[in-house]
Amino acid sequence: MMKKEEFIKELKDALEIEDENKEITLETDIRYVEEYDSLSVLAIIAMIDKNFNKQISSLEFTKITTVKSLMDLIGEEYFE
Amino acid sequence: MDSIFNLSNKNIIATGASSGIGRQCAITFSRLGANIILIARNEERLKETFNKLDKGNHLFISQDITDYDKLEDMVKNAVKEVGPISGFVHSAGIEMTLPLRSMNTSYYEDMFAVNVISSFELAKIISKKKYLDKNGASFVFISSIFGITSQPAIIAYSSSKGALISGVKSIALELASKKIRANCISPGQIESTSMTENIFDKLSKEEKIKRIEMYPLGLGKPEDIANACAFLLSDASRWITGTNLIVDGGYSAK
Repeated sequence: MMKKEEFIKELKDALEIEDENKEITLETDIRYVEEYDSLSVLAIIAMIDKNFNKQISSLEFTKITTVKSLMDLIGEEYFE
Repeated sequence: MDSIFNLSNKNIIATGASSGIGRQCAITFSRLGANIILIARNEERLKETFNKLDKGNHLFISQDITDYDKLEDMVKNAVKEVGPISGFVHSAGIEMTLPLRSMNTSYYEDMFAVNVISSFELAKIISKKKYLDKNGASFVFISSIFGITSQPAIIAYSSSKGALISGVKSIALELASKKIRANCISPGQIESTSMTENIFDKLSKEEKIKRIEMYPLGLGKPEDIANACAFLLSDASRWITGTNLIVDGGYSAK
């Protein structure tokens, strides 16, 4: 079980967002974040594997829009 | 009929024999008359390879080659059952597609253990006089085109494969007096191997197509690498050592 704030922090690390003040919320559409590119997709997939032991393919990843949609793909039950 | 290109009466140790390039190497070598000692961790897949071999005095051994303490007993056993060794092919290898930001030290260590260190340890053991065929031997280390060129997100894989290309030169120079030759093969992307499936799974459809288009002759087949390997193990390559044979469908010519 991971706290939502912790997940967002992990996501920001995977995206290499260094500005602490840059806001990422559940409604943020990841695809439009400036740092989002093919390398960050790999990093996010790796982060999910490491934290939730779930392997998400890049095909599944193409369906992702908001942070919330990513959390739903992982599974609501993993978050508190 | 005996030809300088066949492998009759050669006893060859092949790691990574449970799948992909390693499996095809074992099959091809058996068709050329060699006796194969198949090494891999997965016993079920090892047996599958074993059952596909042409007739010969073959052996399979289920062993994790990063369990370094067990390697000498494994080679000793192989020599006892099959005979002195005239060839060694290291096809065992893992890949990892991860950007630098996701890497950590244990990932590098795991990659180098399988891809590099286990192969040098095996070379060290097999090159001992008591295990070696009196006519000498040929060692082939399967590297990768990404040991020379590279792409984003494969730093551990690329560097481990590069390590084989450099290391093989020192091994070749050091063991020449023992009549041991040592070379690398650098394959491009090989279709229908689990490694290629894993890599392609991480790419988008457009990226996949782009990747395949980089190969003037299309993706390779395991047979392409096995055939190159067989040449390097045969007496036909008698004067080839310390080098890297690129088998990549023209990828690196660009």
